[in-house]
Amino acid sequence: MNAVEVNDLKKFFGKAPAVAGVDFYIAEREIFALIGPNGAGKSTTLRMLATILQPSEGRATIFGYDVQKESGQVRRLISYLPEEAGAYKTLTGRQYLSFMAELYADSLSQAKEYVAFASDITGLGPRLSDKIRTYSKGMTRKLLLARAVMTRPKLAILDEPTSGLDVINALEIRSIIRKLSREGMSVLLSSHNMLEIEFLSDRVGIIHQGRIYETGTAEALKAKYGARNLEEVFHKIVENS
Amino acid sequence: MRKFFVLVKKEVQELLTPQMLLPLLIIVVAFVFIGKVAGSEAAKTAEPQPVGILDLDHTNTSALVAQTLSKNNLKLTEFSEISPEEALQQAKNQDLKILFVIPAGFERGFSGKPLSLSIYTILKNFSFIGSRSTQSATVALAQINSALSRELIAEKAPQADPAVLQSPLRTEETVVIGSREAKISVSAVMGFISTQSTFIPIVLFLVITFASQLIALSMATEKENKTLETLLSAPVSRQAMVAAKLVGAGLVALLTAVVYLFGMRYYITGLTAGAGSGTTAASDAFNQLGLVFSAADYALLGLVLFFAILVALSISLILGAFAEDAKSVQGVTAPLMFLVLIPYFLTLFLDINSLSLGLKAFVYAIPFSHAFLAAPNILLKDYSAVFWGLGYMAVLVVIFIYIASRIFSSDKIMTLKLNFRRKR
Repeated sequence: MNAVEVNDLKKFFGKAPAVAGVDFYIAEREIFALIGPNGAGKSTTLRMLATILQPSEGRATIFGYDVQKESGQVRRLISYLPEEAGAYKTLTGRQYLSFMAELYADSLSQAKEYVAFASDITGLGPRLSDKIRTYSKGMTRKLLLARAVMTRPKLAILDEPTSGLDVINALEIRSIIRKLSREGMSVLLSSHNMLEIEFLSDRVGIIHQGRIYETGTAEALKAKYGARNLEEVFHKIVENS
Repeated sequence: MRKFFVLVKKEVQELLTPQMLLPLLIIVVAFVFIGKVAGSEAAKTAEPQPVGILDLDHTNTSALVAQTLSKNNLKLTEFSEISPEEALQQAKNQDLKILFVIPAGFERGFSGKPLSLSIYTILKNFSFIGSRSTQSATVALAQINSALSRELIAEKAPQADPAVLQSPLRTEETVVIGSREAKISVSAVMGFISTQSTFIPIVLFLVITFASQLIALSMATEKENKTLETLLSAPVSRQAMVAAKLVGAGLVALLTAVVYLFGMRYYITGLTAGAGSGTTAASDAFNQLGLVFSAADYALLGLVLFFAILVALSISLILGAFAEDAKSVQGVTAPLMFLVLIPYFLTLFLDINSLSLGLKAFVYAIPFSHAFLAAPNILLKDYSAVFWGLGYMAVLVVIFIYIASRIFSSDKIMTLKLNFRRKR
């Protein structure tokens, strides 16, 4: 069974289509990346799959569960990291992780395991006892990413996962995502960073004006468009559209 | 259920911040401080007030005036052999409150024509406490008038009883409330009721407005800090999220109410210190009339307050969904503030039952009216009105919570917004 199946998914805000009909799938343990310019419909697609927004038309399933009709079951399987996500500034890093862990865990001991795992990923050490309001943007992003993967979800939906992180931290996060994927986690991510996409993803989907124009591995797309890198592929597709 | 309590704990943690607690603490300390200062000032006014008298007549009648004054909780300073202007200057220097000047020839004019007595009241402030210092003098003046009148009656009509001539009408007042009655003046009853019910509308107003602001702020902060999306993707039912927000804000609002009540009690006790708490006879009369809240009445009042808070919270949760950020909270909750202000002022100044049918229906349609009317209705033993109000508020709570859950379960929680900023 595929982790994600998306068929002719559409979302309108008023009469304007934010997503004009997208189709793609993500296999189990696969890392699939959506790339596209601002306003292409990446975040709206991710939000529909994360059960935050309801599709206007079409269908999407996650491990067989319909995101609209079976949103409760879907939420148990996924973890979502929004692009501009924030954390509760009045809580400490550890309190935030505990709060989120307790929402996902079936028992307190499981919640503690989640927190311990997340604490390792953040690398924040004693700073986890400080209020989040004292964190830098990079520290907050690492905390949020750790929160997103600490439950080892079956599908992680990550919108710009390394945005705001420096090179070292970004590299670290990418290797964690890769490792968790190898351990069984499927990943749907979006990013503006083409290098990151090439390094991380098994396949990519190029989205523009609410439609997916191409899907495939980075190598296959580069060969098809005679491009040296994904940036050139992306540029050619957008130009031709 | 465990996840619900996790959410409630988070809500309370988010709302009970030092930024929220510090002003609350300052207000309570200020209330206690002002109450204590006002109390000590009120105690001072209960002491004999310093007044001056300049007797330029030196007769038995002028001596009677001085005597009556000194019997009325006034500390008399007598001036002699100086002009009224000099006496006034000295009175000012000695910080006296009032100067009485009995002119020469005062007694000579005592033959049926009104006598002339000059009174200089030295005002140094316009405060409520300050004005009370002159009350003893007003009482004394009434007694001087009465004493002089008795003298005159004794002289002109030696056979008559001066007391009867001074006050030929004797009244015996009985106040009737429902089937209960007691021999007491209506002014005493109204004074007692207003003292009893001073706190309730103020506390109601504070709690309802504060609770509304809190929950709307909680919603707005989730949106502004971009935490809402993460929360909405968590495996928790949207109904649990709505309920946790209601309970969290309700708990913080109740805590605030208790703290405010504590502070205000100190404040009001200070202000009313020295005013006296009434006689045993009066207290018996109030009991006879049923004008005292029983434990069950307090419980009923608490239930009404609880439902009023629930109505406010559920409406605010809906309004809060429109708030884009913390700054827009005031704007989105403004309609609710009107709904609280209208019955607050109407019940303070008017009898709602005397309004026209249309107006009465309008007032009763506002759910908070029932909270403001509950205390007087309980005192008047009109329990059916209280229970109707409770039922009405309960129905509204169910409707508003349903609407809030629907909003939380749909896109609207992400897409609803009111923008108060000027469009360019």
